[in-house]
Amino acid sequence: MENRPSGWRDPRLQLALSVLCVLASELLLKRGASETASGTAWSWTGINSLASPLVWWGILFVIASFLSWLYVLKYIPLTIAFPLSRVVDVLVPLSCWIFLGETISARRWCGIALVVIGLAVVAKPVARLEERL
Amino acid sequence: MNLLAFLFIVTSLVTFVAGQLFLKRAMDSTTKIDGSRRRLIGLLAAGIFLMTISFFLTLGLLQRFDLSYLYPFQGLSVIIISFSAAIVLREKLTLQLTIGALLISIGIVLVSLS
Repeated sequence: MENRPSGWRDPRLQLALSVLCVLASELLLKRGASETASGTAWSWTGINSLASPLVWWGILFVIASFLSWLYVLKYIPLTIAFPLSRVVDVLVPLSCWIFLGETISARRWCGIALVVIGLAVVAKPVARLEERL
Repeated sequence: MNLLAFLFIVTSLVTFVAGQLFLKRAMDSTTKIDGSRRRLIGLLAAGIFLMTISFFLTLGLLQRFDLSYLYPFQGLSVIIISFSAAIVLREKLTLQLTIGALLISIGIVLVSLS
Protein backbone atom coordinates (compact mmCIF):
# COMPACT_ATOMS: atom_id res chain seq x y z
CA MET A 1 0.00 0.00 0.00
CA GLU A 2 1.49 3.31 -1.04
CA ASN A 3 1.15 6.75 0.42
CA ARG A 4 -2.52 7.60 0.42
CA PRO A 5 -4.11 10.97 -0.23
CA SER A 6 -6.41 12.53 2.37
CA GLY A 7 -9.73 14.39 2.24
CA TRP A 8 -11.99 13.52 -0.69
CA ARG A 9 -9.18 11.48 -2.16
CA ASP A 10 -8.98 9.26 0.89
CA PRO A 11 -9.62 5.71 -0.44
CA ARG A 12 -11.55 4.84 2.74
CA LEU A 13 -13.99 7.68 2.11
CA GLN A 14 -14.34 6.58 -1.50
CA LEU A 15 -15.00 3.02 -0.30
CA ALA A 16 -17.80 4.33 1.93
CA LEU A 17 -19.26 6.35 -0.96
CA SER A 18 -19.06 3.33 -3.23
CA VAL A 19 -20.93 1.22 -0.66
CA LEU A 20 -23.71 3.82 -0.26
CA CYS A 21 -24.16 3.97 -4.04
CA VAL A 22 -24.36 0.16 -4.17
CA LEU A 23 -27.01 0.24 -1.43
CA ALA A 24 -29.10 2.76 -3.41
CA SER A 25 -28.63 0.87 -6.67
CA GLU A 26 -29.64 -2.53 -5.23
CA LEU A 27 -32.93 -1.20 -3.87
CA LEU A 28 -33.69 0.63 -7.16
CA LEU A 29 -32.73 -2.33 -9.35
CA LYS A 30 -34.79 -4.82 -7.38
CA ARG A 31 -37.89 -2.59 -7.63
CA GLY A 32 -37.24 -1.88 -11.31
CA ALA A 33 -36.63 -5.53 -12.19
CA SER A 34 -39.79 -6.65 -10.40
CA GLU A 35 -41.78 -3.99 -12.27
CA THR A 36 -40.68 -5.40 -15.62
CA ALA A 37 -40.91 -9.13 -14.85
CA SER A 38 -42.38 -10.86 -17.90
CA GLY A 39 -41.25 -14.47 -17.95
CA THR A 40 -40.25 -14.56 -21.63
CA ALA A 41 -37.07 -16.32 -22.74
CA TRP A 42 -35.33 -13.04 -23.52
CA SER A 43 -35.94 -11.73 -20.04
CA TRP A 44 -33.27 -14.14 -18.76
CA THR A 45 -30.76 -11.64 -20.09
CA GLY A 46 -32.34 -8.87 -18.00
CA ILE A 47 -32.36 -6.48 -20.96
CA ASN A 48 -36.13 -5.93 -20.84
CA SER A 49 -35.66 -4.38 -17.38
CA LEU A 50 -34.30 -1.31 -19.17
CA ALA A 51 -37.96 -0.35 -19.72
CA SER A 52 -38.14 0.76 -16.09
CA PRO A 53 -36.88 4.27 -15.18
CA LEU A 54 -35.96 2.90 -11.76
CA VAL A 55 -33.46 0.59 -13.45
CA TRP A 56 -31.87 3.60 -15.18
CA TRP A 57 -31.54 5.38 -11.84
CA GLY A 58 -30.05 2.18 -10.49
CA ILE A 59 -27.55 2.11 -13.36
CA LEU A 60 -26.56 5.71 -12.57
CA PHE A 61 -25.73 4.67 -9.00
CA VAL A 62 -23.90 1.58 -10.28
CA ILE A 63 -21.68 3.82 -12.43
CA ALA A 64 -21.01 6.19 -9.51
CA SER A 65 -20.11 3.28 -7.23
CA PHE A 66 -17.95 1.81 -9.99
CA LEU A 67 -15.86 4.99 -10.35
CA SER A 68 -15.26 5.19 -6.58
CA TRP A 69 -14.49 1.49 -6.55
CA LEU A 70 -11.81 1.82 -9.28
CA TYR A 71 -10.18 4.52 -7.17
CA VAL A 72 -10.29 2.28 -4.09
CA LEU A 73 -8.66 -0.59 -6.04
CA LYS A 74 -5.74 1.64 -6.84
CA TYR A 75 -4.81 1.82 -3.16
CA ILE A 76 -6.27 -1.15 -1.27
CA PRO A 77 -5.68 -4.88 -2.02
CA LEU A 78 -8.75 -6.80 -3.24
CA THR A 79 -8.48 -9.25 -0.31
CA ILE A 80 -9.20 -6.31 2.02
CA ALA A 81 -11.31 -3.93 -0.09
CA PHE A 82 -13.85 -6.48 -1.35
CA PRO A 83 -14.79 -8.03 2.03
CA LEU A 84 -15.13 -4.49 3.45
CA SER A 85 -17.41 -3.48 0.58
CA ARG A 86 -19.86 -6.20 1.66
CA VAL A 87 -20.84 -4.04 4.65
CA VAL A 88 -23.71 -3.29 2.27
CA ASP A 89 -25.17 -6.72 3.10
CA VAL A 90 -25.66 -5.50 6.66
CA LEU A 91 -26.91 -2.07 5.61
CA VAL A 92 -29.72 -3.45 3.42
CA PRO A 93 -31.56 -5.37 6.18
CA LEU A 94 -30.76 -2.66 8.73
CA SER A 95 -32.21 0.07 6.53
CA CYS A 96 -35.31 -2.07 5.98
CA TRP A 97 -35.60 -2.41 9.76
CA ILE A 98 -35.08 1.29 10.47
CA PHE A 99 -36.95 2.90 7.57
CA LEU A 100 -39.55 0.31 6.61
CA GLY A 101 -40.25 -1.12 10.05
CA GLU A 102 -39.52 -4.68 8.91
CA THR A 103 -38.73 -7.15 11.66
CA ILE A 104 -35.37 -8.90 11.81
CA SER A 105 -35.37 -12.55 12.90
CA ALA A 106 -32.95 -13.98 15.45
CA ARG A 107 -31.09 -15.84 12.70
CA ARG A 108 -30.71 -12.65 10.69
CA TRP A 109 -29.38 -10.79 13.75
CA CYS A 110 -26.78 -13.60 14.16
CA GLY A 111 -25.80 -13.16 10.51
CA ILE A 112 -25.49 -9.40 10.93
CA ALA A 113 -23.32 -9.93 14.02
CA LEU A 114 -21.05 -12.38 12.15
CA VAL A 115 -20.61 -9.96 9.23
CA VAL A 116 -19.78 -7.10 11.62
CA ILE A 117 -17.18 -9.25 13.45
CA GLY A 118 -15.75 -10.34 10.10
CA LEU A 119 -15.53 -6.73 8.94
CA ALA A 120 -13.67 -5.79 12.13
CA VAL A 121 -11.23 -8.67 11.59
CA VAL A 122 -10.57 -7.60 7.99
CA ALA A 123 -10.36 -3.89 8.81
CA LYS A 124 -7.66 -4.43 11.45
CA PRO A 125 -4.74 -4.84 9.01
CA VAL A 126 -5.85 -1.62 7.29
CA ALA A 127 -5.61 0.23 10.58
CA ARG A 128 -2.15 -1.22 11.21
CA LEU A 129 -0.91 -0.22 7.75
CA GLU A 130 -2.22 3.24 8.51
CA GLU A 131 0.04 3.53 11.55
CA ARG A 132 3.06 2.59 9.50
CA LEU A 133 2.56 5.42 7.02
CA MET B 1 -34.38 -24.18 -8.56
CA ASN B 2 -33.91 -25.70 -12.00
CA LEU B 3 -30.65 -26.37 -13.80
CA LEU B 4 -30.99 -23.31 -16.03
CA ALA B 5 -31.34 -20.95 -13.06
CA PHE B 6 -28.34 -22.56 -11.40
CA LEU B 7 -26.31 -22.13 -14.58
CA PHE B 8 -27.23 -18.43 -14.78
CA ILE B 9 -26.40 -17.87 -11.11
CA VAL B 10 -22.98 -19.54 -11.51
CA THR B 11 -22.25 -17.59 -14.70
CA SER B 12 -23.15 -14.27 -13.10
CA LEU B 13 -20.90 -15.15 -10.15
CA VAL B 14 -17.94 -16.23 -12.29
CA THR B 15 -18.13 -13.18 -14.58
CA PHE B 16 -18.38 -10.93 -11.52
CA VAL B 17 -15.28 -12.43 -9.88
CA ALA B 18 -13.27 -12.41 -13.12
CA GLY B 19 -14.35 -8.81 -13.77
CA GLN B 20 -13.12 -7.71 -10.33
CA LEU B 21 -9.75 -9.38 -10.93
CA PHE B 22 -9.36 -7.60 -14.28
CA LEU B 23 -10.27 -4.24 -12.73
CA LYS B 24 -7.82 -4.71 -9.88
CA ARG B 25 -5.07 -5.61 -12.32
CA ALA B 26 -5.95 -2.55 -14.42
CA MET B 27 -5.71 -0.21 -11.44
CA ASP B 28 -2.49 -1.88 -10.28
CA SER B 29 -0.98 -1.12 -13.67
CA THR B 30 -1.57 2.62 -13.13
CA THR B 31 0.80 2.63 -10.16
CA LYS B 32 3.64 0.98 -12.10
CA ILE B 33 6.15 3.13 -13.91
CA ASP B 34 6.27 0.83 -16.95
CA GLY B 35 2.49 0.40 -17.11
CA SER B 36 1.42 1.23 -20.65
CA ARG B 37 -1.85 3.01 -21.45
CA ARG B 38 -2.87 0.33 -23.90
CA ARG B 39 -2.56 -2.35 -21.26
CA LEU B 40 -4.65 -0.27 -18.85
CA ILE B 41 -7.43 0.30 -21.38
CA GLY B 42 -7.44 -3.38 -22.41
CA LEU B 43 -7.71 -4.59 -18.82
CA LEU B 44 -10.36 -2.00 -17.95
CA ALA B 45 -12.40 -2.93 -21.04
CA ALA B 46 -12.22 -6.64 -20.17
CA GLY B 47 -13.26 -5.90 -16.58
CA ILE B 48 -16.16 -3.65 -17.58
CA PHE B 49 -17.32 -6.17 -20.22
CA LEU B 50 -17.42 -9.02 -17.69
CA MET B 51 -19.13 -6.86 -15.04
CA THR B 52 -21.76 -5.81 -17.60
CA ILE B 53 -22.58 -9.44 -18.43
CA SER B 54 -22.84 -10.20 -14.72
CA PHE B 55 -25.04 -7.10 -14.23
CA PHE B 56 -27.61 -8.08 -16.85
CA LEU B 57 -27.67 -11.73 -15.79
CA THR B 58 -28.37 -10.53 -12.25
CA LEU B 59 -31.24 -8.34 -13.50
CA GLY B 60 -32.68 -11.38 -15.28
CA LEU B 61 -32.39 -13.41 -12.08
CA LEU B 62 -33.94 -10.61 -10.00
CA GLN B 63 -37.05 -10.81 -12.19
CA ARG B 64 -37.51 -14.43 -11.15
CA PHE B 65 -36.21 -14.69 -7.62
CA ASP B 66 -36.32 -12.67 -4.43
CA LEU B 67 -33.25 -10.73 -3.49
CA SER B 68 -33.12 -12.86 -0.35
CA TYR B 69 -32.82 -16.00 -2.47
CA LEU B 70 -29.97 -14.65 -4.60
CA TYR B 71 -28.07 -13.15 -1.71
CA PRO B 72 -26.36 -16.28 -0.37
CA PHE B 73 -24.54 -16.48 -3.71
CA GLN B 74 -23.33 -12.91 -3.25
CA GLY B 75 -22.07 -14.00 0.15
CA LEU B 76 -19.99 -16.70 -1.50
CA SER B 77 -18.37 -14.07 -3.71
CA VAL B 78 -16.47 -12.69 -0.69
CA ILE B 79 -14.57 -15.88 -0.02
CA ILE B 80 -14.14 -16.67 -3.74
CA ILE B 81 -12.69 -13.23 -4.48
CA SER B 82 -10.32 -13.39 -1.50
CA PHE B 83 -8.92 -16.74 -2.64
CA SER B 84 -8.74 -15.85 -6.33
CA ALA B 85 -7.02 -12.53 -5.56
CA ALA B 86 -4.43 -14.47 -3.57
CA ILE B 87 -3.92 -17.02 -6.35
CA VAL B 88 -4.26 -14.91 -9.50
CA LEU B 89 -2.98 -11.53 -8.28
CA ARG B 90 -0.59 -12.97 -5.68
CA GLU B 91 -2.03 -10.75 -2.98
CA LYS B 92 -1.06 -11.65 0.55
CA LEU B 93 -3.88 -13.59 2.16
CA THR B 94 -3.17 -13.81 5.87
CA LEU B 95 -4.96 -16.14 8.28
CA GLN B 96 -6.66 -13.08 9.73
CA LEU B 97 -8.04 -12.01 6.34
CA THR B 98 -9.21 -15.56 5.60
CA ILE B 99 -11.07 -15.77 8.91
CA GLY B 100 -12.60 -12.33 8.32
CA ALA B 101 -13.73 -13.26 4.80
CA LEU B 102 -15.21 -16.56 6.07
CA LEU B 103 -17.13 -14.82 8.87
CA ILE B 104 -18.53 -12.27 6.39
CA SER B 105 -19.51 -15.01 3.93
CA ILE B 106 -21.29 -17.11 6.56
CA GLY B 107 -22.90 -13.97 7.99
CA ILE B 108 -24.30 -12.94 4.60
CA VAL B 109 -25.72 -16.44 4.05
CA LEU B 110 -27.39 -16.35 7.51
CA VAL B 111 -28.79 -12.86 6.86
CA SER B 112 -30.33 -13.98 3.58
CA LEU B 113 -31.73 -17.30 4.81
CA SER B 114 -34.14 -15.83 7.31
